[in-house]
Amino acid sequence: MNAMGFAWRSLVRQPARASLGVLGVAAVGALLFDMLLLSQGLVISMRDLLERTGFDLRVTATDALPGQGPLIPNAVERTQAISQLPSVRSAVALRFANAVVLAGAPRGVYTTFQGVAGTGAAHPWTILRGRDVTAGRPEIVINENTATRTRLDAGSRVMLRASCNGQEQALPPVRFTVSGIAQFPFDSPNGTTVATSLQMLATACGGNETNEADVIMVASQERAGPAAAVSDVAKLLPDLHVLSNAEAVNRFERGGFTYFRQISTVLTAVTLSFAVLLITVLLTVSINQRLGEIAALRALGFSRWRVVADVFCESVLIVGGGGLLSLPVGALLAIGLDHILKRIPGIPADVHFFVFQPSALQVHLLLLSATAIVAALYPIRIVARLPIAATLRDEVVG
Amino acid sequence: MWVRCILALTGAALIASATVHADDTLPPVLISRQLSEGEHLSVGDVIRLSASDNGSNVRQFRIAGIYEPTPDPARLGAVIREVQLHLPDLLGLTREPSAPSGSEYVQTINVALVDPNDADAFSRDVRARMPGIDAQPASGAAESTGPFIVLRRFHLAIAIVTIVASTVFLLALSIMLVDERRAAVGVLRLIGLPIRRILLQLFLEGLLIAVVGSVFGLALSLLSEGIINRFFQWRYDTTLVFVRVTPQVAAVCVAIAIPLGVSATVVASWALLRRNGLRLARR
Repeated sequence: MNAMGFAWRSLVRQPARASLGVLGVAAVGALLFDMLLLSQGLVISMRDLLERTGFDLRVTATDALPGQGPLIPNAVERTQAISQLPSVRSAVALRFANAVVLAGAPRGVYTTFQGVAGTGAAHPWTILRGRDVTAGRPEIVINENTATRTRLDAGSRVMLRASCNGQEQALPPVRFTVSGIAQFPFDSPNGTTVATSLQMLATACGGNETNEADVIMVASQERAGPAAAVSDVAKLLPDLHVLSNAEAVNRFERGGFTYFRQISTVLTAVTLSFAVLLITVLLTVSINQRLGEIAALRALGFSRWRVVADVFCESVLIVGGGGLLSLPVGALLAIGLDHILKRIPGIPADVHFFVFQPSALQVHLLLLSATAIVAALYPIRIVARLPIAATLRDEVVG
Repeated sequence: MWVRCILALTGAALIASATVHADDTLPPVLISRQLSEGEHLSVGDVIRLSASDNGSNVRQFRIAGIYEPTPDPARLGAVIREVQLHLPDLLGLTREPSAPSGSEYVQTINVALVDPNDADAFSRDVRARMPGIDAQPASGAAESTGPFIVLRRFHLAIAIVTIVASTVFLLALSIMLVDERRAAVGVLRLIGLPIRRILLQLFLEGLLIAVVGSVFGLALSLLSEGIINRFFQWRYDTTLVFVRVTPQVAAVCVAIAIPLGVSATVVASWALLRRNGLRLARR
């Protein structure tokens, strides 16, 4: 019988302790797997989301996030100038405001209000029902949450009161027609969003700021790539800040959400130490109980390397079994933890904290393999140095 | 009295010029430690501030002090570059040239009540008397909503998984440790000790181990509290406290750890003690 088969029989002979060992490794392994998914999950998810919007570059007035800094003046002309660059496919100017849709509730429904103007046919949202807004017409698209809460649908007419400069304003309400229901990529699960053309947003804002935007979103030509587009836009408009998706992700990575990466590193270290310590104790106690048996095997002709291999295979079986079990358990746990974390206000619905990636699985397997080896070192040392005659005498006399 | 009006430097241009003899008649400002270190500014320096990005309407101020910003988890990772001005100075700096004095607005008014217990009644009163203005009690606002409650739930979920893993391991260890003493327990049974008496002895042993383990765990957590806080405070350049082992948290941990440890010992012992004494004592 080979070492693995012998180790298997040793474990099966004591099913309770073997099962508990495997279950313990599964629980710790699941936590370890989740921490590995968390370490890069948010950044990967945000990168996917940015790429799915179809725009490679974001142009803003300052290095503040869109909507948090000053507006870009002459936004429409600048958007047109950007779109004529050879490395650019299309560009749209986007302005953010707030609005109360006067429907569905006595005081209306508070929403984020977006206005868009640009050269490309694509807007930064996806139409689910109805049709897109037509420039120059008093039309809006609304997201599903707004539709549900205001009980509006494509074709409905509604009054909307905008609030455009962060101050309490008493602007007159403006009548709009809902042209369609849209999905906005950065909507939070409970977020309510309304969008129209930049011109109609300016009208709703009192008509004083008709040509300003928070951000110009640019899609680069495939053959030129985002780097060339960044360079061209920066040369064309040196007073504005240009950020590619990769730079935005880097910035995001360095921002406040690095907390999750740090906490995942700390928990990974703690979890691994915990696993090594406990498997070492399990194996050591188990070996100490079987010293007489191991000495007898040595006396019967088992080599030192053979009994060392038996102990190592036991460690591999416990960690391997627990590790395999940890993957489905970890996946279920990740869904639950992701559900908890996504309740943080302002997190887009399509962003996830725990994202599976093959590299996380590879690191998981590598760490578990290292755990199996390190945890087996001390018991292996006991077995390798076991004095056969003295042990047999002690066991028999004792 | 300093009014907490923060002029974010995102939209404002800061032009600093250190002068040997600062003019005491200039309006004083406070600057954050991070801004002081980043721009090499110190107390007594004169700085010029403008609220517009084109540098118009520039005014001079004297740095009267450098302060450590109040730790804010929502701004974790951000380099806090702040200037605090007296409210009239800030309004004078940010007012549109065409806007008459007194027409400015502020975002927030902080109110200290004579009796803090009146906060809810006061906020209701303000909302009723001044439509368009919202008043909210400050106490508990940070904890009742937002990311903090979510993070607390997240850490609680991780703690539960850790407890489950620990319990499983503890049970495995207890089974092995009790099994190691099967011969001794068998002899005790054979000389006439009742199961209850042996179980009591094992219970007390388990209790002792659990108490010692809990004390060791608390000592370890107090040690790691300092290490984790120092690491994250260094990493994020903040005075925010990330981990705090409060008496309440310690009590909850002990309240979970000791019963778990004792239960694991008793369950493992019971499985052994149900066997026949002769079978236990047999080698």
